[in-house]
Amino acid sequence: MNIQQRAAQPIFNPKFECASRDEIRCFQLQELRKQVAWAYEKVDYYRQNLDAAGIEPGDIKGFEDFSKLPLTDKTALRDNYPYGLFAVPLDQIIRIHASSGTTGKPIVVGYTRQDVEEWRYCIMAMIQQAGVVPGDRAQMAFGYGMFTGGFGLHYGLEGLGCMMIPASAGNTERHLMMIEDYGTTVLVATPSYAMHICEVGEELGFDWQKSTLRVGLFGGEPCPPKLKSEIEKRMYITCTDNYGLTEVMGPGVSGECLTSRDQQHIMEDHFYWEVIDPESGAVLPEGAEGELVLTPLQKQGVPLLRYRTHDLTSVTTVPCGCGRTTARMNKVRHRSDDMLIIRGTNVYPSQIEDVLADVEGASAHYRLLVDDETGLDRLTVMLELLPFAFTDSFAEMESFRVQVADKLKGVLQVSVEVKLVEPGSIERTMGKTQHLEDKRKR
Amino acid sequence: MSVSQLSVFAENQPGRLSRLTALLEREAISIRGFAVADTGDFGIVRLIVDEPKKAQSCLQAAGFLVQANDLLCLELPDAPGFLNLVVSAMADAEISVEYGYSLVSTYVVFKVLDVAFAEQQLLKQDIRIINQSDLV
Ligand SMILES: [Zn+2]
Repeated sequence: MNIQQRAAQPIFNPKFECASRDEIRCFQLQELRKQVAWAYEKVDYYRQNLDAAGIEPGDIKGFEDFSKLPLTDKTALRDNYPYGLFAVPLDQIIRIHASSGTTGKPIVVGYTRQDVEEWRYCIMAMIQQAGVVPGDRAQMAFGYGMFTGGFGLHYGLEGLGCMMIPASAGNTERHLMMIEDYGTTVLVATPSYAMHICEVGEELGFDWQKSTLRVGLFGGEPCPPKLKSEIEKRMYITCTDNYGLTEVMGPGVSGECLTSRDQQHIMEDHFYWEVIDPESGAVLPEGAEGELVLTPLQKQGVPLLRYRTHDLTSVTTVPCGCGRTTARMNKVRHRSDDMLIIRGTNVYPSQIEDVLADVEGASAHYRLLVDDETGLDRLTVMLELLPFAFTDSFAEMESFRVQVADKLKGVLQVSVEVKLVEPGSIERTMGKTQHLEDKRKR
Repeated sequence: MSVSQLSVFAENQPGRLSRLTALLEREAISIRGFAVADTGDFGIVRLIVDEPKKAQSCLQAAGFLVQANDLLCLELPDAPGFLNLVVSAMADAEISVEYGYSLVSTYVVFKVLDVAFAEQQLLKQDIRIINQSDLV
């Protein structure tokens, strides 16, 4: 079946996406075994690791054997920067991407022609389950460049037969003009930037209800449910989040379908997933929350075996109402390395986000500040007020502030300072939103 | 009677107040009285202006959080004893004052729960009540 025929049906590859679990597992095992052999044969790092563990590729007979392989962490990519983990000569690599990371050197990944093709395929399947159809006009609000999001989505959208509008990041008024003039139907953006476009549009009198825009494809950062539903309501569009990471490919690892709005189908024809206990590394049973570990199944350029994403989620293989049988992961709300330790208590920023989502009068924008100026860890939550929550009475404002602080303390088990800030004073970013600033000296 | 006050949320950061006043100046809105109060973290700027409706909409359009309230406004003759006369009259009528401040001329405003009732009580004392049109 060619791409036009695939794109014209409701599910991109029903033969795989609706296969039985046994068929899916059988395919994955066969691909995994090839992938282990490829990594072992072509990359010193894996050969040394497997040799040290006393495992040969031929020993992998089932998933249990595979789970005995050592995990791969981001440090392996950093330590072997730039090309140390590449499995093919550079003349077979047709593109590289990099992710900056918050500390130290970036990590670099390379794609062979086949890798680029597989990636494009994943994106096509992913956007189709998000409601994108051939003929859609898709406007890119991600930056192109070393980041995988821009080019990844671009080629997948083109591949499906959409008209690409490669606007790139920045210049919100220009984005609005393009949506209007070009009749854009799909917006690719981070959810926080989509919200910014929405707000600027409203200020300029843009009529979202009349606009041609109908789908939002969100990625690049986790999307809080409240933010998504607010964008859907105000922009009159359907928004889906997708998930991916540069190390394993880029976007296209998993994405929401229109039936299961709080989970994302994993592209299991391209990725083998495991969920592990982040402390012990042990594989957890299906449904348990833990750290997602991914192994790309066909990656030639930079194969990765059991890559630790540090993203916390749980996965189910219960068939979805949309007809797909591919596994679904819960939306990643926090990362094992995002955890803050405040006066000895573990705190995830996403917990704070969830509390704020339930506070009437708080906007979806917030910022966290941690310091130890007073000698003790202090977590300050800066919160933008919605217009109706503001009153002329200090007593009422103070009681609102205290009420939010109490709710947070109840959930986090640690006391938190709440500071009210003016609407619009928390920066809306184009890329990953930096919600957190840790100024602790110790 | 009564005058309209605009309360504006402001963080305690340099330049916040001037952003607000510059905006009003650009719109040719005349500030007839103001008070700034804060809790350390954030403040409320209270303004009495000649065109409260226009001021409110342009402040809101610029992203400010604004709330409008009616306040009691009266003229205090510039002579000893008049403030005492006013507050005593209000105390006798069991009117509690949340806050108050002076405006241009010898006008003062008070935030009270029931403005019309307070006005009635003060008219008995021969105090001149000021309304919005007196402020233009
Ligand atoms: Zn589904």
